[in-house]
Amino acid sequence: MAATQTNPLRVGLRQERVISPQCLVIFGASGDLTHRKLIPALFELFRQRRLPTEFSVLGCARRPWSDDDFRNRMAEAMADEVKQHQTAWQQFAACLFYEPVDLQQDEDVVRLGTRLEALDRQRATRGNRTFYLSVSPAFYGSGCRALANAGLLKDPSRSRVVIEKPFGTDYSSAQSLNRVVQSCGQESQIFRIDHYLGKETVQNILVLRFANAIFEPIWNRNYIANVQITAAETVGVEERAGYYETSGALRDMVQNHLTQMLALTAMETPGHFDPESIRSEKAKVLQAARLANEDEPWKCCVRGQYSRGGNPANPMAGYREEPGVNPESTTETYVAMKLFIDNWRWQGVPFYLRTGKRLPKRLSEVVLTFRKAPVQLFDAAGGTPTANQLVLRIQPDEGAGFVFDVKAPGSGMRSRPVDMHFSYDESFGEPSDEGYVRLLADAMLGDPTLFTRSDEVEAAWRLYTPLLELIEDAPQQLPVYPYEARTWGPGAADNLLAEDGLMWRRP
Amino acid sequence: MAPQLTLQAPLQLPPNEVPAYLNRLWSDHLKDSSGAATFTLVVWEPSWLQQQLIRTGRIDGPITGLLNGQLLDAARQAIGELGLPASTAPTAPELAWALGQQPGSHEAEDLRGQFVDRAISAHQPRRLITLAPTLAGDQNLESTVAAYCPLPEERGLTADACGDVVVLRGGMGAMQQGLAMLQELIPDDLPCWVWWNGTMDESPELLDALAVPPRRLVVDSSIGEPRRCLDLMVQRIERGQAVNDLNWLRLRTWRESLAMVFDPPNRQSALEQVVQLDIDVEGQHPVKGLMLAAWIADRLGWHLLNNFWIDGGAGEGRGIGAEFQRKDGQSVQFRLMPVPVGVSKMHPGALVGLRLICAPPERSPLCVILCSESGGCMRLEAGGVASMELAEEVVPLPNESEEMEMARLLGGGHDSTNPLLATAAALAAKLLPN
Repeated sequence: MAATQTNPLRVGLRQERVISPQCLVIFGASGDLTHRKLIPALFELFRQRRLPTEFSVLGCARRPWSDDDFRNRMAEAMADEVKQHQTAWQQFAACLFYEPVDLQQDEDVVRLGTRLEALDRQRATRGNRTFYLSVSPAFYGSGCRALANAGLLKDPSRSRVVIEKPFGTDYSSAQSLNRVVQSCGQESQIFRIDHYLGKETVQNILVLRFANAIFEPIWNRNYIANVQITAAETVGVEERAGYYETSGALRDMVQNHLTQMLALTAMETPGHFDPESIRSEKAKVLQAARLANEDEPWKCCVRGQYSRGGNPANPMAGYREEPGVNPESTTETYVAMKLFIDNWRWQGVPFYLRTGKRLPKRLSEVVLTFRKAPVQLFDAAGGTPTANQLVLRIQPDEGAGFVFDVKAPGSGMRSRPVDMHFSYDESFGEPSDEGYVRLLADAMLGDPTLFTRSDEVEAAWRLYTPLLELIEDAPQQLPVYPYEARTWGPGAADNLLAEDGLMWRRP
Repeated sequence: MAPQLTLQAPLQLPPNEVPAYLNRLWSDHLKDSSGAATFTLVVWEPSWLQQQLIRTGRIDGPITGLLNGQLLDAARQAIGELGLPASTAPTAPELAWALGQQPGSHEAEDLRGQFVDRAISAHQPRRLITLAPTLAGDQNLESTVAAYCPLPEERGLTADACGDVVVLRGGMGAMQQGLAMLQELIPDDLPCWVWWNGTMDESPELLDALAVPPRRLVVDSSIGEPRRCLDLMVQRIERGQAVNDLNWLRLRTWRESLAMVFDPPNRQSALEQVVQLDIDVEGQHPVKGLMLAAWIADRLGWHLLNNFWIDGGAGEGRGIGAEFQRKDGQSVQFRLMPVPVGVSKMHPGALVGLRLICAPPERSPLCVILCSESGGCMRLEAGGVASMELAEEVVPLPNESEEMEMARLLGGGHDSTNPLLATAAALAAKLLPN
């Protein structure tokens, strides 16, 4: 969201929920995520006075750093912010500690327990701990086991574990990981993070749907003709080739981010606004979702891979030319698919999902297209009548728009579409917190509403299992179509909708 | 209280035996554990209103220290019957004092300190000490101790989650005597909160002795003589003590509502063009209104030029006026007026309405009116605002109890005063004419 002038009356008002005294333990503290996202998010919470005085961060990794090394490295990585808020940083840095820990080594974990007890005394953190596993996904299970074996997860009300995505690589691995994690602690202790859910506008889907009486009565198959969910990136694979080659767009974006948007858009109304009610409804709708053609999944999914593009002034490499990428790679950087949800609300309504790298625009949106008026009384100025559309813009230009027909000025009674527009920037002016700020605060508050539950994760993987199996067993049936960088994906993706007489929305 | 296992049922002991008894209790039952490593909460709980309502037979006991609907109804009824102004809030010390002049000798069991709100007990205070002064000033000091652990299914019967409760009850003289023992009962190695749940005028020596830095002080600046309330907060904040004010916390909905009006960027420039600020409050306690005005002035960078009393005319108390200078040198007029209300809210000086007039050059003036959910704003809506762009909002009443607010503080306490409160309190103290 674009930063605009700050409302001076807004400063200091975000103190609704208070985080209990606690120690946040970050495993993988020497990694990228820690200095790029986690520590900046914590510093933001500190500056907003949302962290208690009795608070500490214990960074853990294999590197033999000292507390001061850790503080200095974080300060270096956040040099601009530190310079801007020097006094606050000094106070915050005093909460930062470091312990060299290899979670695979029992003696290290025992030493960690001792250090945590010492920090509890030193910082009065009352034995409340949040463990953040910012490590390689391969170590999620063993990391949890090590913590459980050391007795660090025994008190469910005082210890939590935050696990980064990806949670598993397919349905069976997610099930296995869930079994391991759940043997280490209760489900209420496990916070599976999907940073998309930290976005204000993703959460706004819930508010828009359930705080406004006008939408829910028409939010169903009787009024909605189809739903399109898009997450488009302009960037390529950048420095993530190693990871991306093994995941691809389906695992990297669709199984988590797009599926969460789908769940929030399609879920039933929860009885209460509490974590379990919301997560249950999300899980239920995902369990009812299926590929449009599960027997022949290649008919409802298109994969693509960006090829060279751009212009002479700004040429762009193709995916296979990116550093670290196999020149013969068949990893998809684009995927589009059609789903159905088999329940009373959505029976027969197609949900189209697409995501890709090196597309013309960076944007995420959910577009609900309504059925056309049953009788066309007026001539449309554009030749054909336009269906009403509700556009929920997740990023950028966060907000919502509603497309509807009005009378075109002049003689006659011709209709033409107009756009009613709501923008977060125009209405609030205040930049939203980064997703990690919200999610870290929620994890430390013990509020799992915006974290995915085990059954949600499994349902999401199950949904795409036919595709993953096909890619594994008969990839030629789901070919990777090349598309020129900075175009809207392969033509086959357009055909997916053309078969239904539809087109992708061109945002 | 949150579900608990009783480790030690309430037991009355001679006061001088309490410290040794508690040490023994912990070492016998919990194998040398010192209990939950959380915090100590010391509560000054005079509950004069409840005690007087019970003594005069207006409500039944027991004395709990909690404000409930029955108590508030009885208090409101007493306001009328005792001839106090209708704008008198039920928790105003004047009401308890007036009740004190009435005959009555009803008695009730005193359970103060033993009714711990669930929101507070959920934070597992290591030690909860309640000072419960009685109406009989010559009553000897009595002490009751109890110890609790959370239910095993909630947290496991582990010593590091358990805590104890100490109640010291007696006349005011006895309270002074109990001070020495009290200091012994407050562990040095844990944060200590002192909740002064009474008027800020009373027992200054006791308050000084209890709320020594770095203990975190919680007060309610709506209860007590306004000058004393503000000066006490300011002095302590200036000395570096962490001060929390429930009256300030209750301003949250007003601050939020006002901020919301100016969230749209196209409105924000109007904040630099404010020419007039009016605030109406219930009754004669201006502190809350002054704190709101001070917060606005601080956030908008106004400089206080002068202040003065305003004669409110027959039947209406004195108001407060002031002139500020904006950052661009222009003048802002401020008026705070007491307005009569039929049924007052719980705390003295509750806000009735706020009016902020902005006069941007080359645009029509903007008038923002915020009204309390429970009252009208006719005075603020009068005076030609119809010709202005009007933004009118209703401010919802806060729906949280004192205990919920207190629990919020305990849950994530700071060892320093909220900077916004610190600045607002200092400026509010300057705004209040001498």
